[in-house]
Amino acid sequence: MTKKRDGQTERPESATDPSRRRFLKGMGLAGAGAAIIDLLDPELAPAREGSSEADRQLISDTVEVSLFVNGQRRTARVEPRTTLLTALREYLDPPITGPKLVCDMGACGACTVLLDDKPVYACLVLAVDAVGKRITTVEGLGTPEKMNAVQQAFVEKDALMCGFCTPGFVTAISALLRRNPHPTLDEVREACQGNFCRCGTYPRVFEAALAAAQMKDRE
Amino acid sequence: MTQQMPQQQTPPTKRKKRIRVPRVENGIETMVEIEVDDEGGPSWGPNGAHKLLNHRLTRVDGPAKVTGAALYTYDRRAPGMLYGRILRSPYAHARVVRIDTSEAQRIPGVRAIVSLTDPEVSGSTRERIVRFVGDPIAAVAAITPEIAEDAIRAIKVEYDVLPHVVRAEDALAEDAPKIFPEGNFAEKERRGDPNAVEAELAKCDVVIEAEYRTPIHHHACLETHGHMVDYRGGESAIIYASTQGTFTIPDDAAKELGLPSSAVTAIVEHMGGGFGSKFGIGIEGKLACQLAKRAKAPVKLMLTRKDEFLMAGNGPGSWQKFKAGVNRDGTLVALRATQYQLGGLGDGSLAGQPYIYRAQHVYRERIAVYTNEDASRAMRAPGHPQASFAIESLMDELAYKLGMDPVEFRKKNLRDPVYHRQLDRGAREIGWERRPKQPGTGRGMGCAVGTWGGGGAPQCKVTVQIARDGAVTVAVGTQDIGTGTRTFTRAIVAEELGLEMKDVTEKIGDSRLGAANASGGSTTAASLAPAVKDAAYNARMQMAQTVAPLLGAKPEELQFADGKVIGGGKSLTWRQACAALPPAGITAQGEWKANLAASGVHGVCFAEVEVDMETGHVRPIKMVHVQDVGLPLNRLAIESQLIGGMIQSLSMALLEGRVMDSRLGAQLNPTFNDYKIAGTFEMPEMIPIIDDEDTREAVIGVGEPAHIPGGSAIANAVFNACGVRVRELPITPDKILRGLAELRERRAS
Repeated sequence: MTKKRDGQTERPESATDPSRRRFLKGMGLAGAGAAIIDLLDPELAPAREGSSEADRQLISDTVEVSLFVNGQRRTARVEPRTTLLTALREYLDPPITGPKLVCDMGACGACTVLLDDKPVYACLVLAVDAVGKRITTVEGLGTPEKMNAVQQAFVEKDALMCGFCTPGFVTAISALLRRNPHPTLDEVREACQGNFCRCGTYPRVFEAALAAAQMKDRE
Repeated sequence: MTQQMPQQQTPPTKRKKRIRVPRVENGIETMVEIEVDDEGGPSWGPNGAHKLLNHRLTRVDGPAKVTGAALYTYDRRAPGMLYGRILRSPYAHARVVRIDTSEAQRIPGVRAIVSLTDPEVSGSTRERIVRFVGDPIAAVAAITPEIAEDAIRAIKVEYDVLPHVVRAEDALAEDAPKIFPEGNFAEKERRGDPNAVEAELAKCDVVIEAEYRTPIHHHACLETHGHMVDYRGGESAIIYASTQGTFTIPDDAAKELGLPSSAVTAIVEHMGGGFGSKFGIGIEGKLACQLAKRAKAPVKLMLTRKDEFLMAGNGPGSWQKFKAGVNRDGTLVALRATQYQLGGLGDGSLAGQPYIYRAQHVYRERIAVYTNEDASRAMRAPGHPQASFAIESLMDELAYKLGMDPVEFRKKNLRDPVYHRQLDRGAREIGWERRPKQPGTGRGMGCAVGTWGGGGAPQCKVTVQIARDGAVTVAVGTQDIGTGTRTFTRAIVAEELGLEMKDVTEKIGDSRLGAANASGGSTTAASLAPAVKDAAYNARMQMAQTVAPLLGAKPEELQFADGKVIGGGKSLTWRQACAALPPAGITAQGEWKANLAASGVHGVCFAEVEVDMETGHVRPIKMVHVQDVGLPLNRLAIESQLIGGMIQSLSMALLEGRVMDSRLGAQLNPTFNDYKIAGTFEMPEMIPIIDDEDTREAVIGVGEPAHIPGGSAIANAVFNACGVRVRELPITPDKILRGLAELRERRAS
């Protein structure tokens, strides 16, 4: 379930397969039997049956990863189950907090980052699987002093309110304009169909994306 | 939320006037009357004569937000910071017999565990009864988020499971399990004479009986509730909070930490949405403080998304039963209404029927029904969207039964001329005359009407400072919850001093700064803007005293415009004028002024939709919302709010609703995969219209009213399109297909 972008369904690579990530996440304490119950619904598992004490064991190894983020080599010691998103936000020092943790299941797009220029949900990628790839976050696209065209257009069109979804939208649309400099409105809708906004900025996000495409032309 | 009464410090010779202002308690707004000075001083002047206000101002925090530089509570880190997680009940109703944390404590990296049976946690009980799936039981703090999650899973809890009830009908049954000792419902209001109303109904030309339901909704703030408690066991603490009220945090946190309130600072630099659900520190904040206190280390405890769905409050559901009678001429004569407010363990909220409409004879009863679900909280216009859906659907049904134009029928029963002009404007914008007169074409239009208060109250203390080098700073502890508070605060000061936006800096979101109200009831702008204006005005007056002699003019003659101070046929640049100030510069205070704010807004929404008669899928095509706002502080941000309100109400109408399993007593859709909110492909063309015929030179809040009529307009458009009246939200394809099948059967027989 990687994001469907630009009309083509990107089949999940193993690295970004949510079931694999979830499995690994669930493996922290539980053996295989318990993990399967967890996948069904970890919350209700105790309501259904007591999990067997003998099944439980702790996997506590950590591993040093070297991540290439926004043009910089960064290292952190993470667990195999640590997601790229958590590694960026909670393990790197200083942290990279542009990508946000919102749904933690690949539904909302707030954590969108570019992995080798392709937008992915950072909450569905394990940090260890991002090693050796170019990671670009919203911070790598522009700064408050030097915004890229998409960021400028977002400000001008007021395509943000609380702003918590904004880094995800900006990243998804920046990626769209790189591969499709003149998108139609429907192509814009499609490029960020995997991004949620609760304040209700979508129409202005569309406006901003189309304005940014024109701005880039003038550059 | 802290709400102070106005301080009457002015001499009694001043004229007084009584005004109605909203008071928000626990997120529920009520109107109270207070006495305020009726005085001179600052005034906004005509709405058309502003240099910055009433223009389209881009957000001053926009560049930080679009580049990821803006720091939210969730983004905070501190050296040695721990991660908090909460253990929640898997049962809807149970007695906690025993909590065994020994295994969790042995996990390397776990630093503190606290349970809600510990007496140090305020409000905790030695014997804990959990009352909903998701009810918190304990919390842990560990060195990584992953280890904290492990520790939560390693806590063993023994429960004595009790019978539960999660459906309103079941809760009302006589043999229903008791949720509270007092019972499962509470009467909130009973008004009118039911027998008299029945007698009038018997005389009406047309009578309709119908019931309408709305499910429990979720605020679905993208930033979950939570805090970063920066406390290491010393004498002071800083609490970073994702809250709608900076000043709702320090007292509660201080109590948990055992510190005086003055030793606790709350910081709300940016926050990712609240919609009425984020006031006070909450149980998650209490637990975070307790963990920090025990571990002597900072703790970040943000709810997980599932926590957020299960324990962070809900927008209450409703179940409303009507019997309504009209005369042939379209006059609503009599209404009998039973309104159940479905707020889980909370009281819920519903505006009393017939809401904005007039009826000569009304009997209504409002009853809160309790279920084993988390307690309702205020949600963007509490009780109004639910009341609107029911009454606007009913009004539509009556109009069709009478064969009247739904717009004309509404006008007939609305006294206020503002609604009339707004209905005309909205009808024009959507092209109401194109509407199919007979439902069933697959395309249709609907409309609805709403009201709100949005007034202010005297709570904000604002400081404006002008330094000798020309720097201007405005400071107040208020929070910007995404509405644009920062931007208008800066704009008011810049305009008053004749400067540009870039010349002023604002400091907000810090409880060490001047007091401010919490953002509930759309009261922020109407409470804050007058105080900012007053502070800027006082700063200008002080500056005029100093600068006037340099220009050989009288202070009251000076003009502050285009970055200059002008008077006596001469002018000084802003920097030159400031250089004449005393070394400490100027510091001016400002307070709320009644004449700068107003209350009471009107809004109408029109919607056009397409219904696929084969699949039952509804596609919104266009929405128009017309809203009066008094003085529009920032047209760009207000339009964004109107669009946002339309989107949330569209989402409510077509997609959203908590789904409960009555056997398990558990929510089946506590994730963003299963609880649907509107996305890019649901977006119609959206036209936000600020009603500029409203010439009140006063500020009124506008966050909530835009969320009221949109869902009702969509529901009515669906009927106009396909002839199916869906009386229970959300309007999903299955309900439309069932309705279409019933229509076919009825025609066949």
